[in-house]
Amino acid sequence: MASFTERSALAGLATPGHCGRAGASGLTVAERTDIAFANVTARRGKRFMLVNAVNTAFGVALPDGPRRTTVGSVTFAGTGPDQWLASAEAAEAAGFAAKLRARVGPFAAVSDQSDARLVLQLSGPRVRDVLAKGLAIDLHPKAFKPGDVANTLIAYVGVQIDMLDDATWQLTAPRSMAGTFWSWLSASAAEFGYDVVTIGDA
Amino acid sequence: MSSHRLNSGGLIERDTPLSFTFDGETFAGFAGDTLASALIANGVRLVGRSFKYHRPRGVMTAGSEEPNALVELRSGARREPNTRSTTAELYDGLVAASQNRWPSLRYDIGAVNDKLSRFLVAGFYYKTFMWPAKFWEMLYEPLIRQAAGLGRAAGMEDPDHYEKAYAHCDVLVIGGGPTGLMAALAAGRAGARVILCDEDFRLGGRLLGERHEIDAKPCVEWVAGVEAELAAMPDVRIMRRTAVTSVFDHGQYAAVERVNDHVAVPPEHEPRQRAWKIVAKRAVLAAGALERPIAFGNNDRPGVMLAGAARTYINRYAAMPGQRLAVFTNNDDGWRTAEDARVAGIEIAAVVDSRSQPPAQFLALGVKAMTGAQVSHVHGGLGVEAIDVIDAGGRTTKIACDALAVAGGWNPAVHLTCHLNGKPVWNEALAAFVPGAMPDGMRVAGAAGGSFKLADCLSEGVAAGTMTAIECGFRIAAIALPNTEDEATAIAPLWHVKDSHAKAFVDFQNDVTTKDIALADQEGFRSVEHLKRYTTLGMATDQGKVSNVSGLAILAEVSGRTIPQVGTTTYRPPYVPVSFGAMSGHHRGKDFRPTRLPPSHQWATEQGAVFVESGQWLRAQYYPRGAEKDWLETVNREVTATRGGVGVCDVSTLGKIEIEGADAAAFLDRVYCNTFSTLPVGKARYGLMLREDGFVLDDGTTSRLAMERFVMTTTTAQAGRVMQHLEFCHQVLWPALDVQMVSVSEQWAQFSVAGPRARDVLRRLVDEKFDLSDKACPYLAAKEIAVGGVAARLFRLSFSGEMAYELAVPARYGDAAMRAIMAAGDEFGITPYGTEALGVMRIEKGHVAGNEINGQLTARDLGLGRMMAKKKDYIGRVMAQRPALLDAERPALVGFKPVDPKARLRAGAHFLKVATANTIDNDEGHMTSVAFSPMLGCWIGLGVLARGPQRTGEHVRAYDPVRNGDVEVEVCDPVFFDPQGARLHG
Repeated sequence: MASFTERSALAGLATPGHCGRAGASGLTVAERTDIAFANVTARRGKRFMLVNAVNTAFGVALPDGPRRTTVGSVTFAGTGPDQWLASAEAAEAAGFAAKLRARVGPFAAVSDQSDARLVLQLSGPRVRDVLAKGLAIDLHPKAFKPGDVANTLIAYVGVQIDMLDDATWQLTAPRSMAGTFWSWLSASAAEFGYDVVTIGDA
Repeated sequence: MSSHRLNSGGLIERDTPLSFTFDGETFAGFAGDTLASALIANGVRLVGRSFKYHRPRGVMTAGSEEPNALVELRSGARREPNTRSTTAELYDGLVAASQNRWPSLRYDIGAVNDKLSRFLVAGFYYKTFMWPAKFWEMLYEPLIRQAAGLGRAAGMEDPDHYEKAYAHCDVLVIGGGPTGLMAALAAGRAGARVILCDEDFRLGGRLLGERHEIDAKPCVEWVAGVEAELAAMPDVRIMRRTAVTSVFDHGQYAAVERVNDHVAVPPEHEPRQRAWKIVAKRAVLAAGALERPIAFGNNDRPGVMLAGAARTYINRYAAMPGQRLAVFTNNDDGWRTAEDARVAGIEIAAVVDSRSQPPAQFLALGVKAMTGAQVSHVHGGLGVEAIDVIDAGGRTTKIACDALAVAGGWNPAVHLTCHLNGKPVWNEALAAFVPGAMPDGMRVAGAAGGSFKLADCLSEGVAAGTMTAIECGFRIAAIALPNTEDEATAIAPLWHVKDSHAKAFVDFQNDVTTKDIALADQEGFRSVEHLKRYTTLGMATDQGKVSNVSGLAILAEVSGRTIPQVGTTTYRPPYVPVSFGAMSGHHRGKDFRPTRLPPSHQWATEQGAVFVESGQWLRAQYYPRGAEKDWLETVNREVTATRGGVGVCDVSTLGKIEIEGADAAAFLDRVYCNTFSTLPVGKARYGLMLREDGFVLDDGTTSRLAMERFVMTTTTAQAGRVMQHLEFCHQVLWPALDVQMVSVSEQWAQFSVAGPRARDVLRRLVDEKFDLSDKACPYLAAKEIAVGGVAARLFRLSFSGEMAYELAVPARYGDAAMRAIMAAGDEFGITPYGTEALGVMRIEKGHVAGNEINGQLTARDLGLGRMMAKKKDYIGRVMAQRPALLDAERPALVGFKPVDPKARLRAGAHFLKVATANTIDNDEGHMTSVAFSPMLGCWIGLGVLARGPQRTGEHVRAYDPVRNGDVEVEVCDPVFFDPQGARLHG
């Protein structure tokens, strides 16, 4: 019987350590592989029931529009009309899509997306300057605040950007394009110097 | 000290000397110099040769509008042609060379063109190279390209990195002169987010070249004060070396930042240039004005320079344009050059003012003034030696001088106001075009709007900054207007000196003279747009910044019209040349577009796979082994091994869409031409999707995982298109259906395990509790299973015609799954196969793919007409019944085998009857796919042939004129191998 080891989206593409300009660290990058994702789309006419079910099950008030709401280790981010990307960390992560389906099944379509994405969390003094090299969205503190979410393009790669808190952004991109995305990110961050702290479980 | 460097003054850093070479000769300069100012300071007047006549040329301006002094900057792979020496910042070790000359700048053979100039008049291309037309490519064009042209491209890959970036603000201020500084200050103090762009490396604009006082201190000190205040504001961004080049809709602006053009090699990790897209709620155009020349005989000789530029070289760079300077002006501003030159200790030969009564204050300066006079001719070949001045009485006086400053008046830099179709309007009092209707969100202030006095610039800057900030929702901030004196700016326009006999240039870069304009008018090219194309006026890299207005003013004169009647040509982006590097940014080479890697890519790389681009995907094409001599041998082995035992192929690239909802089955019935509502849970079905027009859109299998939950697969190529189509159908056509869909293409790694031993391999892999027997898991079964404890999906599907399974696992386990499949299959001799073997096997089975589903064939054409359901409606049903699509003569899918079994077939060959001529009228269809079939031992092909299915056994020719192919083939059934499908069931 086979036993399968995981391979992270960035495995083989990046290694932990300092890159780019020496003696400067404008950006810190961590790959996350421990967050479970699921796409949730309300069944036709069932939005209100879904809102209630999510509230009951997770204590989360489903955000209206491109915002994210986190309660405990479960997050719902608005990604489109009647559509959310749910995510879970720690104990909630295992079998998250199945649990979600069990709780909101009659009111929503649920699709496991835990493996579909490269997930990076970015922090550091030059995050905005790095992202400005590919992101057409205004990240000024007045324009994009903690909890804001956007689905857009960077370097012709579809990305979702979530502002987690004052200092941390989460970027997700299609797993198959991890190499292309990393090529852009590493080139864009090089002039500020950057530190890769985790790749997969490393 | 260099010969023409003033002993004091200027904004150069005298304690930072720099060394550079021009045409191999070494010179000295200072930090703060441009290449042009350093050459002038060294007494170098001859800098380049002109485009057409190879006339000697010198520096004419002190900015990005420079038409003459273009050089090749740097060497080797970094060599950059047509660089304006007036904006090239000097750095230590700079290497520059003149261009468009041979063998040397001083002795240029091409200068013979000047003597032949009566044959090289406007439109000479069209007149001279008319006949014979076929000589164009072979002879004329190479000749013209050899003789004309400017610098040479490096011819090597650019070693530097470029990038793009986005910026956002409330107020974009374009131009960092007095107007822009005040606008930025007013908006910044009000609390607005401000971006201030200036193309120069130093803020101040015109003030850097002037001796004005503001608030009783030198204007440069005032600039420093404002700059410091702006720099301290957290929401103000100052972007030096950044030219705003283009205006687009919705407040979007393009700009180019020359991040590291001022150093020999960009510091490690830094880009050379950065292309910005700036999104601004409002913009203030404070781009200033550009001085224009006056046309007179030999007005292009090195040493003839615009008066404002001469002042800039003297005041900003402490560089003397000459030791004995003459000034030719039609306005008050020209006198300031004489005044500043005299203060700097330069001898003034004369000030020639075409006006009879200049203001008395100038006449009192104590320099030789010639009023009501005009300069008609410049003496000297490689540089000014003397000028001829015709006075009011018609007498000519020759005056010795080594430099001539020409002040023809100022043209507001209206360019950016015109990029969205705005037309500038003529202002008679200013004798200049000023902005007309402004683009949405933009206002103009200062000299760009025709306000040439410093006090007006400062106050308009404040007003513009304040107003834009208020429009952005901010409150007015207190701001005091700086004090300045009021300077004189009167003008009496003079465009060209009619008494000149030698060539009088209007467009210096494209060598257009006053005579060319008159000739164009005489030959009927009277529209200003025709004048431009016929003479090439304004079509050079400077886009006529210096020349255009003068050119059309002269056209007005010679054609007896007013300037507004003549009008202007269209100002198009970009304002200054933009390098391709900046435009492409990071996206060159492998980063030109995204590359998608399937989950087994790393493993395939380790196997030495050869990859092929398949849309954005990079897929394993074949896996060469040992001494295999070519791809064909490898592919034959992969096919034979799969059909003889078992093979594995990564098929993760197929599009995968989960479709869920109470109406999911009904939805599928409408988008597929065959029926899915009858599909049992746990089963897969092949589906064919049509476009509205009845042609085939895509095919694939869809499996029912639960009553209300399906997973659809699409072809790799059409994955995005199908998703878009389904979304459209749901959102626009049938919003009432309860159906939700989401792509899971990235979520699942999927592998096809095919061949007689496929089940044996899977049995060693899949968790024991799942029954894989043919009874429990028959052909077209679709099961949710587990592999090594990992939730997985197993589909009994076959594209190869073998007993085959597609195993799907979450993508993070894709690499491990591929390795596990290989390990489990080891004892059965499992062979990985790539897209080539995949293609061979599907052609052997007559399965259609992208070559057949090409948007031009119907289900009926593909022999799939029986799939089109009769008892339901679906997209494409009606249009597929159009008479022409039902025509019995329409080419339909059949197979082909060469009559000579050794003959090779080629896809793309056209079918002709054996004994007909090779004409398009005899065309009966074409070959869509070919492969060498190791099973049959010969080449086989699929193709569409008129009445093909009725012609089995008939011979036709596969005619391929592109590759000289003409092969007799036999028409046969498209299923070449295992026509009964016995192997599917194992």
